[in-house]
Amino acid sequence: MSSVIGYYTTKFGELWDKSLFDLVEEAIKGVLENSRLERRQIDAIFFGNMLAGVLENNLHSPSRIAEIIGTNIPIFRVEAACASGGMAFHLANNYLKANPGKTVMVLGGEKMTDYSPEETTEALMSASSGEEQEAGLTFPGLYAVMANYYLEKYGYDEENLAYIGYKNHLHGSLNDRAHFQKKVSVEDVLKSSYVACPLKVLDCSPISDGAAAVIISNDKKIVGRSEKQIQILASEVATDTISLKTRKSLGEILATKIAGDKAFKESKLNRKKINVAELHDCFSIAEILAMEDLGFWEKGEGGRVVKTLVSLYDSGSGLAVNTSGGLKAAGHPVGATGIKQIGEIFLQLTGQAGRRQVKKARCGLTQNVGGSGGTAVVSIFAV
Amino acid sequence: MLSPVKIWRRQKEIRLILGKKGKIISWTKILTPPPDFKKYAPYAVVLVDFGDGTKAFGQLVDYEDRDLATGKKVKAVLRKIRDSYSEGVIAYGIKFRPI
Repeated sequence: MSSVIGYYTTKFGELWDKSLFDLVEEAIKGVLENSRLERRQIDAIFFGNMLAGVLENNLHSPSRIAEIIGTNIPIFRVEAACASGGMAFHLANNYLKANPGKTVMVLGGEKMTDYSPEETTEALMSASSGEEQEAGLTFPGLYAVMANYYLEKYGYDEENLAYIGYKNHLHGSLNDRAHFQKKVSVEDVLKSSYVACPLKVLDCSPISDGAAAVIISNDKKIVGRSEKQIQILASEVATDTISLKTRKSLGEILATKIAGDKAFKESKLNRKKINVAELHDCFSIAEILAMEDLGFWEKGEGGRVVKTLVSLYDSGSGLAVNTSGGLKAAGHPVGATGIKQIGEIFLQLTGQAGRRQVKKARCGLTQNVGGSGGTAVVSIFAV
Repeated sequence: MLSPVKIWRRQKEIRLILGKKGKIISWTKILTPPPDFKKYAPYAVVLVDFGDGTKAFGQLVDYEDRDLATGKKVKAVLRKIRDSYSEGVIAYGIKFRPI
């Protein structure tokens, strides 16, 4: 079994003075320092990134990373839309299963704010079907279609969704690396302007820059020497159709359900054991669906339960969700998101989460989604 | 970038949907569009179930607000999707009209 032994994230946000590879370099240096490793102790690197090819005409990033570090080790770039980071982690974990006694860096990074919101929105839509693009849909639009379906089917309204933005901004206010560190009220969310009805600005994750990195290892000496470590109990992937219209149901993300069931089976953990979870709240509806699809809440009850704020870091309910601020408040530099989620679980399970520390956190879960649900990665960790 | 060849290839699929009738099963209204669609915003996009096991996404046109609802019957019509690029070919495609 492999362990996560170090984590570093840059600040997420509108970082106009930093390029993608400035951010990547900061994450590489930061994670090596935090885990007290030399670059020569890294045997391979997996890099999650979605948009550098589309927005910046910038591919072949592994070679660029080799230049930054001054190394000749294998480096792989992984793309799975917004799940690029989680997928890079999954592949790195599999790489270790095939290679005993190795140590791997998993990086994720994205530069998104050099472009107008319209240009970035269009670039992100490269992860959707041609028909969806030709209908003028956007990712907020696709999730809005799911949200309208869910709200109507279970008899909820926009206020039920608004509690996600409220909770995750509260968590973001306790995270000095978060894009947004300002609390918002449920009323603020409801008063914010529409992006795609019924989703408003404060239902949607922002466009952010940022990079994050973790070190994972199955080298007994290195793991034994590391001060902080968590075990990787499972990391599972599932896929589904790229078109939302061909999915079985609009009221669930089936790929999350399948990857989650596989991960729980592999980890041999009961769902009730999970104390902290970082879920893919690209839009408010997505966190509600994820809680249901992962089996934490019954299908259809999420809209009601969310108003009780049981997932707040200090609720004492036994399961805190998106303590980093989630994609909503911590920000969503696409390739970095899946790595930051794992890093947040690392911080929580090793007691390093500071003001947002969840008491007695022993087991954690991450769920990273690509597109409107075409890819999902679910990973489970424990101390 | 949509090349004329790509537009032509997609038109084969449009023919199969044109004129079909169905019901709206979900919808949204887009206020932050991709660049090519900026001048149409805000616009409604609906997911239509044709009742024969197939569905399609498209914009809703010639509608009033009360038409933007699940269960509303619509018909697939041919409309301009986006302006031409430098090659001068205008992309046509499917949109939906309430019936």
